[in-house]
Amino acid sequence: MLSIVSMFAMGPLVLFVGSANASSHTADQTTRKNSGTPNSSDVTINPKTGVVISYGDSAITYNAPSTSLAKLGQALFLQNCASCHGTAANGVPADGTGGAYPNLVGVGPATIDFWVDSGRMPAADPRAIQANRRAPRLNKKQALEIASWVNSLDPSYPDIPTPHLKDANVSDGAALFALNCAACHTIEGDGDALAQGTYAPSLRNIPAFEVVEAIRTGPGNMPRFTGNLSDKQVRDVVKYVTTEIQHPQNTGGLGLGGLGPVAEGFVGLLIGVGLLALLGFWVGERQ
Amino acid sequence: MSEHDDHGTPVSLKGLSANDPHLQPAARNPVLVERVIAVTFVLGIVLVVGFGACYWVNAAPWTLGATMGGGLFFLGVGLVAWGKYLMPKGPFVEERHVLANTDQDRDAFAAAIVERGGSVIKRRKMLGGLLGGGLGLFGVVALFPLLRSLGPLPKGTLFHTDWRSGTYAVDITGRRVQVGDLAVGSIVTVYPEGRQTSDRGQAVDQTVLVRISNENFVTQKGRETWGPHGYLAYSKLCTHLGCPVGLYEQELQLLVCPCHQSMFNVTNGAIPQFGPAPRPLPQLPLYVDASGYIRSQKDYDQPVGPGFWERS
Amino acid sequence: MSSDVVNTKRAKANAAGPYGKVGQALNELDDRLGVAKGGRTFMDKIFPDHWSFMLGEIVLYSFVVLLVTGVFLTLYYIPSTALVTYHGSYLPLDGQRVTEAFASSVNLSFAVRAGLLMRQMHHWACDIFIGAMVVHMARIFFTGAFRKPRELNWTIGTTLLILAIVNGFLGYSLPDDLVSGTGIRIAFSIVLSIPFVGSYLGFFVFGGNFPGATVIPRFYILHVLIVPALILGLVGAHLFLLVRQKHTQFPGKGRTEKNVVGTPMFPVFMAKTTGFLLMVSGVIALLGAFAQINPIWQFGPYEASRISYAVQPDWYMGFLDGALRIWPSWSFHSFGHTIPFEVFIPAVVLPGIIFNIAYAWPAIERHFTKDNEMHNLLDRPSNRPKRTAAGVAVLALLSTLFIASSTDVMANFFHLPLTEVLWGMRILVILSPFVAYPITWKICKEVQAVKGGGKRKTTNVVTRTAEGEYVATAAPVYVDDAHSELEATPVPRFIIEEPDEQDESGVRTAER
Repeated sequence: MLSIVSMFAMGPLVLFVGSANASSHTADQTTRKNSGTPNSSDVTINPKTGVVISYGDSAITYNAPSTSLAKLGQALFLQNCASCHGTAANGVPADGTGGAYPNLVGVGPATIDFWVDSGRMPAADPRAIQANRRAPRLNKKQALEIASWVNSLDPSYPDIPTPHLKDANVSDGAALFALNCAACHTIEGDGDALAQGTYAPSLRNIPAFEVVEAIRTGPGNMPRFTGNLSDKQVRDVVKYVTTEIQHPQNTGGLGLGGLGPVAEGFVGLLIGVGLLALLGFWVGERQ
Repeated sequence: MSEHDDHGTPVSLKGLSANDPHLQPAARNPVLVERVIAVTFVLGIVLVVGFGACYWVNAAPWTLGATMGGGLFFLGVGLVAWGKYLMPKGPFVEERHVLANTDQDRDAFAAAIVERGGSVIKRRKMLGGLLGGGLGLFGVVALFPLLRSLGPLPKGTLFHTDWRSGTYAVDITGRRVQVGDLAVGSIVTVYPEGRQTSDRGQAVDQTVLVRISNENFVTQKGRETWGPHGYLAYSKLCTHLGCPVGLYEQELQLLVCPCHQSMFNVTNGAIPQFGPAPRPLPQLPLYVDASGYIRSQKDYDQPVGPGFWERS
Repeated sequence: MSSDVVNTKRAKANAAGPYGKVGQALNELDDRLGVAKGGRTFMDKIFPDHWSFMLGEIVLYSFVVLLVTGVFLTLYYIPSTALVTYHGSYLPLDGQRVTEAFASSVNLSFAVRAGLLMRQMHHWACDIFIGAMVVHMARIFFTGAFRKPRELNWTIGTTLLILAIVNGFLGYSLPDDLVSGTGIRIAFSIVLSIPFVGSYLGFFVFGGNFPGATVIPRFYILHVLIVPALILGLVGAHLFLLVRQKHTQFPGKGRTEKNVVGTPMFPVFMAKTTGFLLMVSGVIALLGAFAQINPIWQFGPYEASRISYAVQPDWYMGFLDGALRIWPSWSFHSFGHTIPFEVFIPAVVLPGIIFNIAYAWPAIERHFTKDNEMHNLLDRPSNRPKRTAAGVAVLALLSTLFIASSTDVMANFFHLPLTEVLWGMRILVILSPFVAYPITWKICKEVQAVKGGGKRKTTNVVTRTAEGEYVATAAPVYVDDAHSELEATPVPRFIIEEPDEQDESGVRTAER
């Protein structure tokens, strides 16, 4: 039913959307691999592969999930994920519809942890253009187990991050947020609709480590921020998000949803002018 | 009709009895209404004084507004109620005078202008013409400082940016971008080296750098060398109204402008496929130098940003 | 006075005349200024007090609030684009290089006592000012108050609306924050789009290419001096014409084209209007206390390569933003020149057409109705179906354009793709006037067809007979309706105090 509706919606969209899009969506996902380099003076890179060996920046510590969890992870994976991602996690499910789902080999533990921990995976509707955040079906330990197993197929980066927010500079974070994040997530962090039914989610309710994972792995249509942001800069952004965005200083009163001047206009017209007109109704006469 | 004085009030009307119904309060129970109004006045006074107190102790901003607002509001309610319910209820009437004067006065007015003015102009046509011409020319010339002194001529300013052959692409901190920095699906805003905090660098030179593959990427014919190692650079100024096109959807490979949702396809030279933007985002030709830094081959091949008359 | 006046209290009181010390003072004033006759006439002036006439007062009093709060703001705001390092109580900005305009606005919000309240009151007052102006203008339009002899006042009013919208835009751009700075960028591009002279005009107004260092100081002086001076002058002319031509009134008992029925200026009208001023100020202060508006500290300073999603201009500019979003990308490009019609038409031509129609409306109506008579009595909107329907159609167009400025927010809220929302808005904007016109026209016709429609209804008492029939009879008129049965009387020259019985509260029991 949903596919018929979305096909209907796609129909007129084809007039406006280039035909390349539908296929590039899947083409990109089957070849996805993390090849970024964090901007840190202590980073060590394997010169042959260009893959990071160690980060060295103390602002965020990255830890690979223990390999001993892999066996449990495989069992969980076969139970919850293989129906779409395939038993080899390569995006080819058993019914042979190859290439329709993302290839998870080599995406790195942080990617797995992000999607499972935010409840987006296992997907509620595998055919939806974007999975919604919801209450996670698998807990943190289970997410790590799955991440451990998938990582064991082809170890990659980034690992599970732990940001250390104590020395973060919230002002630098605000500036970086405004330049890099506000274009999609809005300056207030409420998120908004994007092209073709995708959307940038609200940032009001996500834990700090998930912010790091999203920034470093670029889930879905979100771009990946790798070498151009150091761990210190990412930590500053996380500090800003977990303080100002999630606990805004609405010193002026009710925040009106952070929707901007349109909301203010409605309040000004309906409550302001409307109330005053009603009061004018009392002050004046009815004849 | 009785005689009226020249303001429309009948002179024979010496006065109105104080018992006249027109002068009575509108309220059925004026005493009760007076008490209610007194209460609102007291409430207003208390709140207004409360504003003073809140200010004195530097209380939260909302208390200042609540006390001031409530105080003014209740004082206002009381005053309106006084006028509406306790003051003479009327209704009263006044006559409208015809605004137009008598025909005699109108003729006199017209005669003054037409005959006197006409006699002057008829007899001194040339002088009148010269004066009119002079004042008209002054009006035109007076506009010159009001407009031209305000700012410089545009000349070629809108046609070029500061990107040149070999300019390093740097991010907002001034750090040069290296070929190994961005993963596929990554984005960074870049500026010509040295210009990242200047007005012009931000407003005109701003460029969005995305990496859409690990190999050279060709967006259009003639741009075979522009996308080294999969790096593509487009002007960040939307061709609609100049907003920064900072919204990048890596799977859909669209750059979306947040202002009015123009969508540009990064794989074919940022051709707009939806929304009000009329032209593709100009693409900046890049190359990677021997040390791995991303640099521009030359300036954009067309003016960046929204359209204007001189843009060919 | 004779020299042998006895120096007693009673003698002094008698010497002072029948109106005592106050009368003496007024006489002294009249000696110097000659105000007695004019003053009396002024205080006798009658104001009809239908509730819809209060809308203009909302506009006027919110303007008063704007002036008062605006003066406060000018004492703290610094109109400069020079960069300073912000050090203040708002930590996310601490250490950032921002313009002095932005820093002074943030300091005004956090470091100045009552500063945030004044800023928010100023901004809310502006939204209400323009909102009430539109409603007031609609009232004038739908009741035909713009007809002879008041066409000039209509022209002044339309100009005031344009000036208010411009001043609002200039004002909220002053703090130089991310959201309003984006608006300035868009304004620059709109000026650029004007054929032939666009780039010159843009460079002249901005003192160079965008952003330029002079745009904030120029906006400032326009916003606090030049445009308010024009507005004040025009408001003065607007009120002068109102006093000279006298207010219009609805037709009714005892009301003709040649009189005005209502309340006298002093004391009744003054009491009510001053009370309303206090109420308007109070409501604006309450909004300023409880509803946050334009939280510039959350937006951060404007930098030309930063942008936020989900931003719109303030509501009164919304119709322009909506038009810019839905207009197709039809750019003209030929012979070595570009005319960006996708910008020029929605942002310059469209408002030009709308406001010119507004200016020309009295002449348009005179042309179609061939009516050159003086009109001091108002129309009931339902009695002029074509005019009412035309007005509603234009309002429908402007409202849908305003809604179109939030296409992304709607797409997010309703979980629809952006493209669908945009096409939906295009269709809605084009259809809305053509749907609104016939529906409004029909409603007016139906109201006209109902006997006594639009008039205040009398209550009925419904009784059920023993056979089960229902009979409705008019209810007895209540005492407080009786005053509307009185004939209007001219304002008395003076009041004759008659001693009659009073109760202990001093209330005279008068015959009714």
